[in-house]
Amino acid sequence: MLSFLKRYRELIIVAALLLYPFASFLTRGHLGRDPNLVDRAVLWITSPLQKALIWTFDGIGAAWNGYVALRGVQAENGALREENRRLRAEANELAEVRAQNERLKRMLAYTESTPGQQIPARVLGVNPVATLLSLRIDRGEDDGIRRGMPVVTPDGVVGQVQRATGQYADVVLVTDANSKLAVKVQRSRVRATACGKGDNKALQLENALRTEDLQEGDQVVTSGTDGVFPPGLAVGKITSLHRRNYGMVQTAEIAPAVDMTKLEEVLVIRTAAPLGTTIIPQARRGAGQTP
Amino acid sequence: MKLVTTVILTLLLLTVESVAVKYLGFSVSRIDVTIAIVAFLSLRANMVEGAFSSFAVGYLLDLMSGRPTGLYTFLAVFTFLIGRLAASLVEVRSALLFVIFTMAADLGHGLLAVFFSWLTSRDAAFGSTLSALPMQVALTGTAALCLYPLFRKIDSGGERAEVGLLR
Repeated sequence: MLSFLKRYRELIIVAALLLYPFASFLTRGHLGRDPNLVDRAVLWITSPLQKALIWTFDGIGAAWNGYVALRGVQAENGALREENRRLRAEANELAEVRAQNERLKRMLAYTESTPGQQIPARVLGVNPVATLLSLRIDRGEDDGIRRGMPVVTPDGVVGQVQRATGQYADVVLVTDANSKLAVKVQRSRVRATACGKGDNKALQLENALRTEDLQEGDQVVTSGTDGVFPPGLAVGKITSLHRRNYGMVQTAEIAPAVDMTKLEEVLVIRTAAPLGTTIIPQARRGAGQTP
Repeated sequence: MKLVTTVILTLLLLTVESVAVKYLGFSVSRIDVTIAIVAFLSLRANMVEGAFSSFAVGYLLDLMSGRPTGLYTFLAVFTFLIGRLAASLVEVRSALLFVIFTMAADLGHGLLAVFFSWLTSRDAAFGSTLSALPMQVALTGTAALCLYPLFRKIDSGGERAEVGLLR
């Protein structure tokens, strides 16, 4: 036995390294898992790195706007160079401050107008895997964020917290292919399901009966029946309808209310009890369930 | 490359990529920096060390994805083994060949990732991921070209003596 192990040691090690994650993926992969000690340690290392990089990029951007871009003007304008540079830098700075102020005012107004407690968070980075659309924010368990909490902006729904550690959390976007949320059409009150298409550009409206009243341009909002997202949050607008002459249901394409590629700040809605999840376990998706 | 070096390098590259993708606004395409590392490992590392390093690289990618399932850990080790098999047939000793080698590995990795994701989530739409794959492979190739000198510097003297069967 020992000689067998010794002889095939290399093969056994490689086979274990290959088959353990594969078996883990096939058996428990669709359920996900809570971060263990090693996961937390790695996230604890990488998240501040992301934060530092964002600061660096922001600094470079500010330097570019405030100085480098003005060098061309400097060459062209001779005597007015100093004053021009100062004014342009101030203008840029003020424009940036004003834009930030507007965003924060809108977030504050939204926070005050909606029930429940919102936790503002900054987007740190996007996950490096193309088959899952998620991003990382700079608030986590220490701020009261838990798995399943909905994430929004004043413009509409963003996604749901998939994993929270000390000071950071990962948010799966509603546009992710595994995401589903209960919605209704604002005009006709038709209930349906909005599913992510996995491309960040559109959602698919499903489970609406063919006879229901849907029109292009209709606003779609959360219905609240999934027990995750509060009712009335903007999801998007119907851009195209697909209604056949047969079958029970019709489908439609929804343009998301929030541009997921340009998110900078988000609000996490703190709920009293950890919520369920609208991210459907992959193995069960074939059953065609609705939230 | 030693395991610790590989882990540190992977962490750094994944962090940079995560932030870069946020700023560049890629909606689906990604730069598979981890595949460049695994491709390099399959060319240079011995079997056990390379398998361990690939496992670590895949685990980190899985973890950074936000929803670790084990898929990317498996795919990293699998890509390493296939890469090693390919490396026994072809000789890859220049930056250009490394880029081609990495792009081929990324294409295989991407197709397998979509396939296995589809296998467990049949009604999810993976068309967009597939259509973004050529861009992802091209970006990964560009990243491989930039990273090759760094990898060589880190792994100086680690070149395997034996050459591929096809030259």
